[in-house]
Amino acid sequence: MAPSRGPLPLARTLHVTLDGHKGPVNVARYAKGSAKYVLTGGQDRTVRLWNASLGTEIKAFNAHGYEVLSIAVAHDNAKFVSSGGDRSVFVWDVTSGTTTRRLPGHMGKINAVEFNEDASIVASGSFDSTVRLWDLRAQSRAPIQILEEARDAIQTLHIESTSITTGSVDGHVRTYDLRKGELRSDYIGHPVTAVVPTQDSQTFLVTTLDSHIRLIDATNGKMLNDFIGHTNSSYRCRACFGLGEATVVCGDENGMVWAWDLLDAKLLQPNPPPKVHSKVITWTEHHPSDAGEMITSSADGTCKIWRLNT
Amino acid sequence: MTSRLKRKLGDIGVDTSSARANENFCLIGTPLPPLEKSRDTGEFVPLWKQEVRDEKGRRRLHGAFTGGFSAGYFNTVGSKEGWTPQTFVSSRSDRAKKKAAKPEDFMDEEDIQDIRDSRKIVDTTDEMDLTSGKQIESQDDADADPLTAALQSAMLPPSKDSVGARILKKMGWRVGQGIGPRISLKQRRLQDLQASTGSAFSVSTSEIVPAEDAEEASKHTYAPRDTPVLVVERKDNSHGLGYRPGMSLNDSLGVKGSGGSSTGPNISSGFGLGALNDADEDDLDVYDGSSANARNRLAYDASDDPERDRTFLSGSKSKLRSAPVPIPPTGTFRDGTHVLPGFVLSGKPVMEDRWYPLPDIPPGWKPDPKRVWSQGQNQEQYPASNKENVKQENTAAIPHGKWKTSGLSADDRGSILGETPLPSAPRSVFDYMSQKDRDRLKNIAANLHSTTGLPATASASDQTSPAPAPAPAATTPRIPRTDPQIARAALTGFKPFPSDPVKQARYTAYLQSQADTSSTIMLEPLPHQSIPEFNSEMEEYAQSAVVFKPVSGAMAGRFTSAAVVEHGPKVIEGLHTPAFEEQSSSNEEKKATEEKELSPKENAARMGMYGHLTRETVPWQPARLLCKRFGVKDPNPEPKTEDPTQSSGPDFQDLSSSSVFDPSVPSGTSAADYGIVSINNDNTSASTSGPRDLANVGLGDEDDTQGRDTLTYERPSVDVFKAIFASDDEDSSDEERGDEGDKGPNDIETSGPSSETTMSTKISPLSSIPVVVDDQPVDPNTFKPTFVRREARTANADSDKQEKKERKEKKKKEKRKAIVSFMDDEAGDTLNVVVEKPKKKRKKDKEKDREKDKETGGLKSKGEKEVEKEVKSKRRNDVDENEDDMWVEKPAPPAVTVASDVEMADTSAALSVGSEVPRGRKRAIDFL
Repeated sequence: MAPSRGPLPLARTLHVTLDGHKGPVNVARYAKGSAKYVLTGGQDRTVRLWNASLGTEIKAFNAHGYEVLSIAVAHDNAKFVSSGGDRSVFVWDVTSGTTTRRLPGHMGKINAVEFNEDASIVASGSFDSTVRLWDLRAQSRAPIQILEEARDAIQTLHIESTSITTGSVDGHVRTYDLRKGELRSDYIGHPVTAVVPTQDSQTFLVTTLDSHIRLIDATNGKMLNDFIGHTNSSYRCRACFGLGEATVVCGDENGMVWAWDLLDAKLLQPNPPPKVHSKVITWTEHHPSDAGEMITSSADGTCKIWRLNT
Repeated sequence: MTSRLKRKLGDIGVDTSSARANENFCLIGTPLPPLEKSRDTGEFVPLWKQEVRDEKGRRRLHGAFTGGFSAGYFNTVGSKEGWTPQTFVSSRSDRAKKKAAKPEDFMDEEDIQDIRDSRKIVDTTDEMDLTSGKQIESQDDADADPLTAALQSAMLPPSKDSVGARILKKMGWRVGQGIGPRISLKQRRLQDLQASTGSAFSVSTSEIVPAEDAEEASKHTYAPRDTPVLVVERKDNSHGLGYRPGMSLNDSLGVKGSGGSSTGPNISSGFGLGALNDADEDDLDVYDGSSANARNRLAYDASDDPERDRTFLSGSKSKLRSAPVPIPPTGTFRDGTHVLPGFVLSGKPVMEDRWYPLPDIPPGWKPDPKRVWSQGQNQEQYPASNKENVKQENTAAIPHGKWKTSGLSADDRGSILGETPLPSAPRSVFDYMSQKDRDRLKNIAANLHSTTGLPATASASDQTSPAPAPAPAATTPRIPRTDPQIARAALTGFKPFPSDPVKQARYTAYLQSQADTSSTIMLEPLPHQSIPEFNSEMEEYAQSAVVFKPVSGAMAGRFTSAAVVEHGPKVIEGLHTPAFEEQSSSNEEKKATEEKELSPKENAARMGMYGHLTRETVPWQPARLLCKRFGVKDPNPEPKTEDPTQSSGPDFQDLSSSSVFDPSVPSGTSAADYGIVSINNDNTSASTSGPRDLANVGLGDEDDTQGRDTLTYERPSVDVFKAIFASDDEDSSDEERGDEGDKGPNDIETSGPSSETTMSTKISPLSSIPVVVDDQPVDPNTFKPTFVRREARTANADSDKQEKKERKEKKKKEKRKAIVSFMDDEAGDTLNVVVEKPKKKRKKDKEKDREKDKETGGLKSKGEKEVEKEVKSKRRNDVDENEDDMWVEKPAPPAVTVASDVEMADTSAALSVGSEVPRGRKRAIDFL
């Protein structure tokens, strides 16, 4: 598809609704690879695996004793890692549905977990304002390193090939550059709830609780664009890029999914968007390869998969 | 049975169907033995066959000698499962359930049964309490009159007859009657009176009025009146005896005379007196005022006559004993009790409560509790009686526990009551202390007591003791002292008054004045501030300084201060009185919060000016394992172990090489290490001539001499190898000469700041530094490219040279072989010790070469020859002719000579050799 003028319209046709969770759904992640499957984690202490195209629940992973707040899938889809109120990171084997490891150490609930590229490292960011880096290859259960620079709860983190990016409630986005051996902290000024870097790691998208989404230049910390219009002041509503990083998509606290053009920060039509969830949208994730697919999870207990109407 | 037989039998008259007719006498098979041995229990059994069994049939005595008790499992320490020890079961989670072992746990059922039986006997005593129910009721209404109590006890049967009650009943006692021999009517009347008045003393025979039917009634004897059992209440408070919380003075004096009249004489204490014991005079409460009565205010007890019957239940002994002793008139209380010897009865009445009418409230008065609270300490403003009234109202409601914990000490009460302090006030400990100690204590006290004034040590003790007079210090402004260290720390610490800028400013000023004793900052009371207010404010600051000074040391690392400072609304104490002030203060607050955010970072973020203002970059050290997992090279490899004792060349070389070339050096460096290192760098770079610190080696270009060392160490390696590994077939004459040759350049180099005097000492990198410095500082940037180039060059040159020099070199090396080989083992291909020495050797060699060249002539260029001549003329006279034929032309040596030589002539020679190369650069090259 040639780069026609204007970005692709957002997938706004409801394809299927995943409503197996009994409480709010906190996180919904696509699997890696062709991303046919979706993993969701909710307040009902379960992680559920869904077939995204059919909308059927494949498996429920029960081991958490508290809510599930974050999920990350390994590159080979063989395992995933989840965390939540248990203060332990759970590493799961997908096929057997059991935890292969539980990594205790955090003092508070864990808001974010992430694998590195080859799933040898798990990073977990917690309410206790630390990020712990766990080695999955070694048998040691102690973290390799603890990043304690944040002064408030870590809300999000992201691992790139040679850097770790964290977002904290203290209003900072911290990039730990392993190659340079330096820590770059960008002060955003408002509690950061989500940081999503672009593929080229040149920019990252920062969602803050002042109803702003900012596109920050990773190299010098300058703000490239500011996306406003939605409502986000108290919940973690993760914004993400649309396909090809041409758009920015975010669900807000009123249950609406907003989309902006990345370049001129203009709201895409319809404006205002229709209300598709009855409660706050907690997670928005675009399909990694399929142009017209997107998933939203909401506190109303459902996840919805959206597709373009053809 | 056949039919015929049946018929026959039937004819006889036998019922064929009966059991007897059908009885079968055949036995088939062997009968089983009977199920039970029908043994005679009384049968004699020999002693050795006798078994002792308990009632459950268990063998109790067994064993080899059939003696002893059964213990454990069949008298073993094993168990039914054998000797296998039980698997460990953690009782961690069951700790709460675990109880302390009781004796019962170790008893078998027989023992437990025994205990149970014995307990049964004990338990029966509980049922002996005949009047328990009644006592409970009488406790409920203390002032129920004795008649109703008696009626009640008579009408209500005891809940259960105990053994004693049953015996008594069999002896003729009935419920409601007293125990004892029957008495006459008169005695009974007396007893009634006694019971109603409650005192044994009080009854006089004259008061017993004979009834009309006395003659009829007196013919009979009567059962004595029931004696109410005195139950001593449990005393669970610390009040005085007989005092109830909330009792007024009048009550406690027994003016009303209420209560206790039905319970007989009060016993002074509950100890040692059984319920049925008689109360002796000794046991009677001396201070008992409840029996105060007009009738017994008599000098002589009228009821005391010897012919009285002796069947009184209580008080009989006292009557007998109370002799008619004349009592001194002053020594009697109103109730006739003797005054204790040594005491005099007071004629003045006890002070009574007086209630004062409320003062007239002025019409314009508004309540201002703040004023009351702030001046609560100054008691002189408030009449003591007012306080007392307030207190009294409270005391009626305060239960005992609260009363105890309310913290009102005797001194407090005294001050409330307006008492003058005791004249013999104890001398304060402070009086015996030195001034220094007092100051220290004062500071401590400042932390503990917020309200007490501190400065005068003597007054510190006065504060706690009741001070009826107003404190004179309150009228003068007073600034408490704070330790300068604390003040300094507090200045950097938390700001406690973020919402009140004025206060914060004053606080800061106070701290500054305290931190710096020589400072001229003086705090004055604000215009609207009274002196006491100012004083209390200063004290508050002093406390705040102590409280808010940053945590020091190890503790500090455990806390992080919140990123967001709460700007809570300022709470105004007291009732709400809207005033003009409030508006302005809120404005000020707003301004203050705006000012608070003046940090450039926040400002920029608020303005949306993200960029360098909002970005902070600090060095960060990822863990080594993390780097490995991410496939990233360690960004700041850890500088090797820094041992200041080893400042010799080899270590230096080792360091530089490792830090440059070896990425796999174990590194756990953190940013802190980095910082330390950088500091070291600064130090060493500042003093180039001083001894080098190993820490800075290889960490950049702050040291302009270090590259040289790195470059030089490569060259001799081939020589060294050859020296070590090639066979030595050279004679000793070469060796000796080599030795001399070594000494030549060494002597020259002694001109450097730190140089070696003997060959055996390792040559430190310093020895090469001055040589370089002498000529010209070399730009370190030029080293690297030239290094690579020269490497190849030198390798070629060396290979040429070495072929010729080989044997000679070998001998020299042999001399120091031990050192060389040792270092070789350690550092692989880079021969650290040798690095410097060979260089010199090299120089020496070259010099020798030159000498040789000179002799051979022709092959060398003119300039080189000149240089060599100079060198030779200056240093060498002992030229070995033997080796001349071995040496051919070499490109480098003259320059090297120049580099190592101190003489200016050498430099000129060098110029002539490599004139096309810039000077500094050439130096570097040549040095290779």
